[in-house]
Amino acid sequence: MNRLKIKKYAPRVVVNALVIFAMIIWIVPTLGLFITSFRSASDVARTGWWTVLNSPLKFTQYTFENYKNVLSTGGMSTAFRNSFIITIGGTVVPVFLAALAAFGLSKLHFGGRTFFYSLIVMMMVIPTQMTFVPVLRLYNKLSMSGTFVGLWLVHTGYGLPFAIFMLHNFFQALPDDLFQAAYIDGASVWVTFTRLALPLSVPAIASLVIFQFLFVWNDLLVALIYLGGHETVAPLTVRLSSLVGSYGQDWHLLTAAAFVSMIVPLIVFFSLQKYFVRGILGGSVKG
Amino acid sequence: MKRGLVFAICSLFVVSVIVFPITALAQDDIVTVLGVWGGHELEVFQEVTKAFTEKTGIKVQFEGTRDLPTVLQTRLAAGNPPDIAAISGPGALKQYADQDALVDLSEVFDMNTITESLNPTWIELGSYDGGFYGLMFAADIKSLVWYRPDQFAAKGYEVPTTWDEMEALMDKMVANGHTPWAVGLESGAASGWPATDWIEDILLRTAGPEVYDQWVDHTIPWTDPRIKEAFEIFGTIVRNSDYVYGGPVTVLSTNFGDSVNELFTDPPRAYMHRQASFITSFIRDANPDVVIGKDVSFFSFPSIKPEHGNPMLGAGDMLAQFNRTSAADEFMRFMASADAQEIWVGSLGKLGTNSKIDPAVYPDDLTREMAAALNDADVFRFDGSDSMPAAVGSGAFWEGTLMYVGGDDLDDVLEYIETVASESY
Repeated sequence: MNRLKIKKYAPRVVVNALVIFAMIIWIVPTLGLFITSFRSASDVARTGWWTVLNSPLKFTQYTFENYKNVLSTGGMSTAFRNSFIITIGGTVVPVFLAALAAFGLSKLHFGGRTFFYSLIVMMMVIPTQMTFVPVLRLYNKLSMSGTFVGLWLVHTGYGLPFAIFMLHNFFQALPDDLFQAAYIDGASVWVTFTRLALPLSVPAIASLVIFQFLFVWNDLLVALIYLGGHETVAPLTVRLSSLVGSYGQDWHLLTAAAFVSMIVPLIVFFSLQKYFVRGILGGSVKG
Repeated sequence: MKRGLVFAICSLFVVSVIVFPITALAQDDIVTVLGVWGGHELEVFQEVTKAFTEKTGIKVQFEGTRDLPTVLQTRLAAGNPPDIAAISGPGALKQYADQDALVDLSEVFDMNTITESLNPTWIELGSYDGGFYGLMFAADIKSLVWYRPDQFAAKGYEVPTTWDEMEALMDKMVANGHTPWAVGLESGAASGWPATDWIEDILLRTAGPEVYDQWVDHTIPWTDPRIKEAFEIFGTIVRNSDYVYGGPVTVLSTNFGDSVNELFTDPPRAYMHRQASFITSFIRDANPDVVIGKDVSFFSFPSIKPEHGNPMLGAGDMLAQFNRTSAADEFMRFMASADAQEIWVGSLGKLGTNSKIDPAVYPDDLTREMAAALNDADVFRFDGSDSMPAAVGSGAFWEGTLMYVGGDDLDDVLEYIETVASESY
C-alpha cells in the first residue's frame, strides 16, 4: 500500500520540484525589479535589492517615490493615449488582414497559393532594421512619417507574415468537408468566412491579438524611427526611455516605469488568457 | 453585441485618425532638434527652448532618444534629418561632414565677431576639412580625481601633484589596509568608456598632446609602445586587487555611476575616484546628505612626465545643423549665446563655452573652480574615443579595455583594436 503510494506520487513530486525550481529562476529577476521599484534612489545605488530580504517587514525602507516620479512626469497621459492609438490600430489592422489572407490561402483553391504562402513565410526572416531607410524614404515622399496611420501600416507590414503563418496553420486544421457542406447549402465565400471560419478560430485569433498587442505596445525603435520622439506623438515606451539621462542617470525610475507600462499588457493577457493556451495549440494537431 | 463591438472599434479608429492631427513637418516657425537628453537634463533643455521661444516666437520640437546615432543615420539616409542634432563629438562630426549632411556654420555665424565670445579652441574642435560644422555649447572636464578631504585629513593623506607622489600615496593606503581606487566600467551597451578616459588621460601625460592627436587620427598604430605603456599604467591599478576596490571583477561589473559611492560608505571602501565633472549629479542623487565641495572635492589627475604638464581632457555637448532654415539658424545662434548657456550650465553643473557667462550662474564654488581650471589649462583635448570613428571609438576601444581588465594579454587586445582601426579610417 505504502509502496504503491510512493510509486504513484514520487514522479509527481519530482516534476513539481523541477517546475518550482524553473519558476523561481524565471521569476527572480522580475521580483528583483519589483522590489527595486519600491526602494529609494540612494538605497538602490548602495545595496542590492536582496538586502531587503533581511528584514522584509520593515516598511520604512519602501517608498512610492519612484512611482510618483514616473506618473507625475509631464505628458504621461498623452503618452498613454498615443500608445493606445498606436497599439489598437497596429493590432486590429494586421489581425483582420491576416485572417482574410490566411483563409484565402488555406481554403480557397487557386493556382500558385503555395507559392504566395511560401513567399509570405519567407518574409518572416527579413530583419526589421533593413526596411527602415527605404520605407521611411517612401513615407517622406507621401508625407506619412510622423503620422499614426503610417505607423499602423508599418506595424501591419511587420506583423502580417507571422500572423498569416499562424492563422493559416489553424485554418488548415479545419475540415474541408465543413466548408463544402456550406457551399452546397448555397453559402458564398464571404459567408463561410464570417459564419464558419471566424467563429471557429476565436482561440487562434485571441492569441494572435495578444502577440501582436504585446509586440506593438512594447515597441520602441519602430515608433522612434517612423513617428519620432516628439511628445505629441511619442508612445509610452519613448516617453519612459527619456526619464533616464544621457549618462544613464536616474535609471532606478525605469524599474517603476517598467511596471507602469506592464499594467496594460497584463490586463489584455489575463482577459484573453483562457483562449491563449488553446491558441498556441492551434494548428499543431492536424486532422 | 458583437456588432456593437466592431462598430466601437471602427469608430475609435476613425476618430483617432481625425482628431489627432499629423505632426507638422518643416515649417518656418518650427525648429526640430534631436538630442540624447532625458530626465533632469531634458527639463533644463526645455527651459532653454522656452527662453528661445519667448525671445523669437519660434517653436522648438524636441525629440529625445539615447539611441541617437541609429535614428539620426536612418533619418539622414531617408532624407528627413532633424534641423539640428546633438552629436557625440568630433568623430561623429567628421562622419556626417563626409556625407555632406552638415550646414557650414560659418554661414550662420558672423565669424568675425564669434571669437569675441567663443574661445578658438571650441571653434577648432567643431571644424573639419575647412568648414565649421559643430557648435560646442557646453563642456565637461574629465581629468579629475574625486576624494573626500575629511577622510584624507583624518588618515594623513596628501593630495598628490606628480605621479611619483600618487604611487607613494597608493602604497601608503595599501600599507594602512585601505583601498585607493573605486572604478566601475559597466555602462550598458557603452560599457568600457570610463576606462578609455583613464587611458586617454594617462597617454596625454606620458606621451603628450601631439602623440595623442596622432593616435586619435590613427597615424600611429595601436600597437605603438607608447599606447601600450598607457594601457599598462592603467592595468597596474585596475588589475591589482590591492589598488582597486573588489579587484577586476568588481571593476567590470559595477556601474560607473554607482562605483563612486564606495567613497561614501563608512568606513570608505575606497578613497579616490577618477571621473568627469558630471559625476557630481550621481553623487548628489545617491547621497543627498553629501555637500559637494565640502564633503567631496577633486584634484587634477597628476602629471606623469613633467615635460607634458597637466593637460585637460574633456568632452561636451555639440550641436550640428542639418537643414538650412532661418529658424534653425536662429536656434544655433541662440545656443552660442551666454543667455542660453547660463540656463544649461547653471542647472546641470556643466561648463559653458561662451566666455561672457556670468560665473555667478554656476551652482557652487566647485563648478566655478572647474570653469577656471578649464580656462587655465594650457592644453585641452577632446575625449579621444568620441573623436575616433564609431567602430573604434565606441566599439573596439571599449571592448578592448574590458578584455584587458578581464585578464586578456595586452598585445592581443591592441592587435585586435588595430585590426578594427585599420578597416575604419
